[in-house]
Amino acid sequence: MATAAAAPDLEPASSFLRRRWLSGQLFPYALITPSVAVIAGVLAFPLGMLVWLSLQHYGLRELIAHQGEWVGLGNYQAILADPLFRQVIFRSLAFTFTCVALTILLSTLIALLLLKVRRAVSVVVMSALVFVWATPVIVTVDIWQWMFDYEFGVINYLLTQLHLGNFIHHNWFDNPVQGLGVLVLVVVWGAIPFVTITVFAGLLQVPGELLDAAEVDGAGPWQRFRFVTAPMLKPIFLIVTCLSTIWDFGVFNQIYVLLNQRPSADYYTIAIYSYRESFGVSQYGLGATIAVLMVLVLIVVTLFYVRETVRQAEIA
Amino acid sequence: MIAPGTAQGVQAGRARTATEAAARVMVPRGLKQLVYDATGIGVAAVMLFPIYWMIITAFKPGRDILTLQPKWFPAPFTLDNFKDAIARPFFLDDVRNSLVIVGVMLALALVIAFLAAVGTARFGFRGRTAFLVMIIGVQMVPLNALIIPLYMLLDSAGQVDALPGVIAIYLAVVLPFMIWTLRGFVANIPVELEEAAMIDGCTRTSAFFRITFPLVGPGLVATAIFGFIQAWNEYIIAYVLLSSPHNQTLTVWLASFTTNHGPEWGPLMAAATLTGLPVVAFFLILQRYLAGGLTAGAVKG
Amino acid sequence: MMFRKSWVTVVSVAVAVLAAACGGSSGSSNNNSSNQTATLTVWLMNGSAPQSVIDEVNADFKSKYPNVTVNVEIQQWGDIGTKLDTALPGNTPPDVVELGNTLVAKYAAAGALEDITGKKTGFDNSATWLQSLTDSCTQAGKLYCVPYYAGSRAIIYRKDFFASAGVTPPDSMDGLLTVGQKLMDAHKSDPSFSALYYPGKYWYAALPFVWDFGGDIATQSGGKWSGALSSSSSQQGLTTLSNLVSKLSRADKTGDEAKQDAAFAQGHIAMIIANGWEVGVITDPKAGNPALKDQLGAFPIPSHNAGQTAPVFLGGSDLGVASRSKHQDLANAWIATLTGNKHMAEMATVGGVIPNTTSMLSLGTGINSIFFSAAKNSKFVPNSQNWASVENANVLPDMLVKIFTKQMGVADATKSASDRITTILNGGG
Repeated sequence: MATAAAAPDLEPASSFLRRRWLSGQLFPYALITPSVAVIAGVLAFPLGMLVWLSLQHYGLRELIAHQGEWVGLGNYQAILADPLFRQVIFRSLAFTFTCVALTILLSTLIALLLLKVRRAVSVVVMSALVFVWATPVIVTVDIWQWMFDYEFGVINYLLTQLHLGNFIHHNWFDNPVQGLGVLVLVVVWGAIPFVTITVFAGLLQVPGELLDAAEVDGAGPWQRFRFVTAPMLKPIFLIVTCLSTIWDFGVFNQIYVLLNQRPSADYYTIAIYSYRESFGVSQYGLGATIAVLMVLVLIVVTLFYVRETVRQAEIA
Repeated sequence: MIAPGTAQGVQAGRARTATEAAARVMVPRGLKQLVYDATGIGVAAVMLFPIYWMIITAFKPGRDILTLQPKWFPAPFTLDNFKDAIARPFFLDDVRNSLVIVGVMLALALVIAFLAAVGTARFGFRGRTAFLVMIIGVQMVPLNALIIPLYMLLDSAGQVDALPGVIAIYLAVVLPFMIWTLRGFVANIPVELEEAAMIDGCTRTSAFFRITFPLVGPGLVATAIFGFIQAWNEYIIAYVLLSSPHNQTLTVWLASFTTNHGPEWGPLMAAATLTGLPVVAFFLILQRYLAGGLTAGAVKG
Repeated sequence: MMFRKSWVTVVSVAVAVLAAACGGSSGSSNNNSSNQTATLTVWLMNGSAPQSVIDEVNADFKSKYPNVTVNVEIQQWGDIGTKLDTALPGNTPPDVVELGNTLVAKYAAAGALEDITGKKTGFDNSATWLQSLTDSCTQAGKLYCVPYYAGSRAIIYRKDFFASAGVTPPDSMDGLLTVGQKLMDAHKSDPSFSALYYPGKYWYAALPFVWDFGGDIATQSGGKWSGALSSSSSQQGLTTLSNLVSKLSRADKTGDEAKQDAAFAQGHIAMIIANGWEVGVITDPKAGNPALKDQLGAFPIPSHNAGQTAPVFLGGSDLGVASRSKHQDLANAWIATLTGNKHMAEMATVGGVIPNTTSMLSLGTGINSIFFSAAKNSKFVPNSQNWASVENANVLPDMLVKIFTKQMGVADATKSASDRITTILNGGG
């Protein structure tokens, strides 16, 4: 559209457009128009509204009246001065880093393992991954909550039966460090299928001849992975890291459900914090502010990955 | 679907060579293989355990579910939980709603994503980078934070408690990832194939639809699976936007098994199993296309 | 402010377009004749009224308003606040909403509910409504909802366990501890046994202890709230409770009460603090244990003064009309039908809940009579529009967990909770 507007206006617009169309200059814009229209049509107003809300005092009364009170950057000042917010950001970052690192590491190991096992076993593992991926998150978190239950949880029973200690009436959530550990486990478990299947499929595309040649040259398994496989999988690792970071930073359901919809402040991650401010204490302005800050933090954190990812895409 | 001699065929061929080479060179039969296989089974068992627990619970009678000593197998065995779940009001309505929402959304999403994928994979144009950055960036916004704005938007359009509103939101949420994946997939198909067809007298458009489109099939399938899972399992938007029980989706129906005196575990697990089944079925039917699909997209960026 | 204008424009344009497109949907006439046509949307909560009662109410309503369609949509408790927050400000809100009584103040103060002060006398029994429920409906002297039903707690116990340990229901808090300890001794060999099963986040059940010693959650003077949990009498109550919990309970100190009935049915528990309807959950043939039916008894939570009972928290629900509803008169008429003498009596007898009026408290029979009479000595949370925020910020559950897990002493935990409550009730985050 920008191209069309800048064009010299010497010939009838229709024939001009047609020429452009045929030469392919407008064609790509036509191709992306529907998706831009849908994404912008649905999300532009809500996103703008989110930013707008973050600049207002907006409680339930304002919501009912459809009228907020402008406070400029007041919400941002309040949130940035809140020590809880700093804690929450730090916790979210640490949580995300742990989850992403573990997810990528374990998924890569499982994907490599899939190359080595016999076919029947790989079908079994693949099916397991598919089942995990296909089960709705709101269901799996219920199951996990119940498995880690204090009295009736199968995990406590199992660990005790395996003589790993006395876990009868062990409470996994009274100590936040341990509780967050359990949450990492639940999140990573849910993230492994997608990443593993993606990495595995990528591994299948590494030419066997290349690995053979490397082995002939005396490269061990680690070196073959490090110098042959990993570089070829770089684009996959980039996009997977990028997406995992985005998803894990926004983690909500796992924490919300495992802690009975009432997580204490020790368990607040940024998404929980934003939701609490909005729907818990009806401070929609503050909730929106936290959400905006969350996106900003995420942009900073993923800047490198997004740039690399898009660059890789542009090369292609 | 994987035609020999095409990009997909080549890919699959390579994959085979890779595994065979690995099998031939790396693995002295015997102990080492056994260790790998055992580890594989172990991984599958750990991953599957929660799912196993869900399914066997669905077959246990109520009193065997909350016991201090968990029962590993459903004995005695009962179908009561399934009967109970299916007999709940609005089950069939909600199944239909979920199918309609996901079906319509996917059909639209595949067409739209495909067009955008072609646009970004085949053409360089001003704004392409911005577009790519946008489709990654859009995924960073937490959906929970958009509940109120989205509700207001749909309310003003008269689409609250109506399926089209939910379909539109799911479409916008799922599209970015689908475009990205498909884009990589289209980029993976040699443009020379199209050019050859054009030399044979095809227009660019017809060359594209005759040559490239069929080759993207597996990519469309892989993308569809992802979109299906995302939309089928979404909860909070459906919960807030669809208030009448006959308009709700299966995930919202599932939430009705959790009352103010805790979840009804037996029926909940049975219902969850039923809800998960279509996804697993959809997935298993199409799984063979996945290896080619998801990754080809990702490999190219 | 600019936003508001553009918003209104967008809305009105959209509505106009929609109305044109759909040929004008549900009629929104304000005329009050009995043959008016409309669709009334009612949100009731899961488990409030039995379906048979709802059907009868709708049938009665239909005979008066034959052309009105009533859609009763049952909502789930989980995340209901989120749903109300989005739906009530909308253009097509539910006309009638059932609200937990601690949530009403927030919605009333925000202008989400219709002021029905002038219509009060039109509802049956409005002079004898339970005081705590009426209070929950009242903001700044105005009435915003109709009391629906109440719930009050007492102690449900196992008669057989009591008999075999040779104890009888205690009549004082000290007695409760003694009886509990005898039960613990009698079940020494069972590592899962709890004489009094008390999950850590169960704040409704902690309030009787606070109130009984003369403490409170917060007090109001001159329009300002100040948290009172740190007062010495509140601390005394919580110390008593904490002692009971550490000696008699093996329940999850960080868990909530949602599972207590299922746990009770497993047979390793002698007492729980519970609502009357929980008897039905414990003896439910599918998830509970029907065999316990004859072994269950109940007694009121005893006071620390022997022979008296502790004041209990009066939970319950109210029915309000959305301020943006287009059928407010019909909505009120529907509420009047449900809360009228005929159906309220059914709620008590069929539904087993405490009716909204003192005149029907005698309808409780058997074990229910204990719970019905407990309602007579009941109290309520601070009646402030900000109370819902205190609840949603988990101030009380967090405080209890800190006390029971000994992460903090009673003094420190109550101090920080009390300060938090003061801030929130006075309108700070």
